[in-house]
Amino acid sequence: MTGPLYMFGAFGYQASLLVALVIGFFFGFVLERAGFGDARNLTSIFYFRDMRVLRVMFSALATCMVGLIILSYVGLFDYAVLLEDSLLQTYLWPQVVGGILFGLGFVIGGYCPGTSVVGVASGKLDSVVFLGGMVAGIFVFAAGFPFWGNFYKSSALGRITLWQLFGINEVLMAAAIVIMALAAFWLAALGEKWAPYDK
Amino acid sequence: MTEPEYAKGYWNPFLAGIALGLVLLATFYLMGTGLGASGAVARTAAVIGHSVAPEAVEHNGYLKEFYKPGRKHPFSDWMVVEVVGVFIGAAVAVLSARRFKPGVGRGPHASVGLRLVLAFAGGAVAGVGTRFAMGCTSGQALSGGATMVVGSWIFMMVVFATAFSAAYFVRRQWS
Repeated sequence: MTGPLYMFGAFGYQASLLVALVIGFFFGFVLERAGFGDARNLTSIFYFRDMRVLRVMFSALATCMVGLIILSYVGLFDYAVLLEDSLLQTYLWPQVVGGILFGLGFVIGGYCPGTSVVGVASGKLDSVVFLGGMVAGIFVFAAGFPFWGNFYKSSALGRITLWQLFGINEVLMAAAIVIMALAAFWLAALGEKWAPYDK
Repeated sequence: MTEPEYAKGYWNPFLAGIALGLVLLATFYLMGTGLGASGAVARTAAVIGHSVAPEAVEHNGYLKEFYKPGRKHPFSDWMVVEVVGVFIGAAVAVLSARRFKPGVGRGPHASVGLRLVLAFAGGAVAGVGTRFAMGCTSGQALSGGATMVVGSWIFMMVVFATAFSAAYFVRRQWS
């Protein structure tokens, strides 16, 4: 059957929540087995001690990216529906600001939202505190909304992909990303040897 | 450098990444959207706020989105259920690997107090960041990244550039 199944009405809202639970289960299971329940394993990348975060993230990204292209090529996935109706929308400047704040929060706090849930399941008190901090941060964002509410929805570029931006086809773009990932893996191994903080 | 105790016993990162990629692929095939996490935290904040000060939440420019009249409860949401699944999946993984160990992840010389203060501060800053970026590592970097979304790639690059630059200043919590 051609996906995305839910968007083609193959199952309803109640069933989608069951899907959410099952998908979430595997997501959490894999994150834990990757070592992402401990802040030290998540932040080692920023000190060139252990680049597992980069390896896991880029191989996951590439697997899914290539998988979607293959599925759409053999007719099992309708990429056009994704591009028109469900692709994330780009808000350029808010996402740059969000990226700076999120990068700071990640390296200071030691977790990101998903991995902090895995940390809680692993018994890590620092992840519970991180989650509490996030809730506080959302209140700060809500309290300041009158000041930055307009900025929050500014520089809207709509649903736009890298291949559309560069004017090439999706296969070429995906190939370039895979090559970039391989180069990043190679650089990551060099970074671990360099280990500037441990000398 | 020898592998520290806390980094031992996990899957090969490339195999873990492929497994994670297949979970993400299944999500897109089934739902047409990717994974997420921070949206569930935002809804949790809305629910907590609403239990204390319902008026303030219903009139707040941002949080009122979760409490429109006639709408379902904020927790009746795909991502909230997914995150509940994440917790259950992670708990099963931790327990079956006999890895459940209450404690605080920190460097051998860092104090618990320092680590917890930074965990809270970092969480707060990241929390604000997820709202501006409309997502986090799961929703933007991973899911948007795999579908080659422009904003997600910009977000991911900025996140890593910032974190690598700032790492020096908080290195003591791991030393």
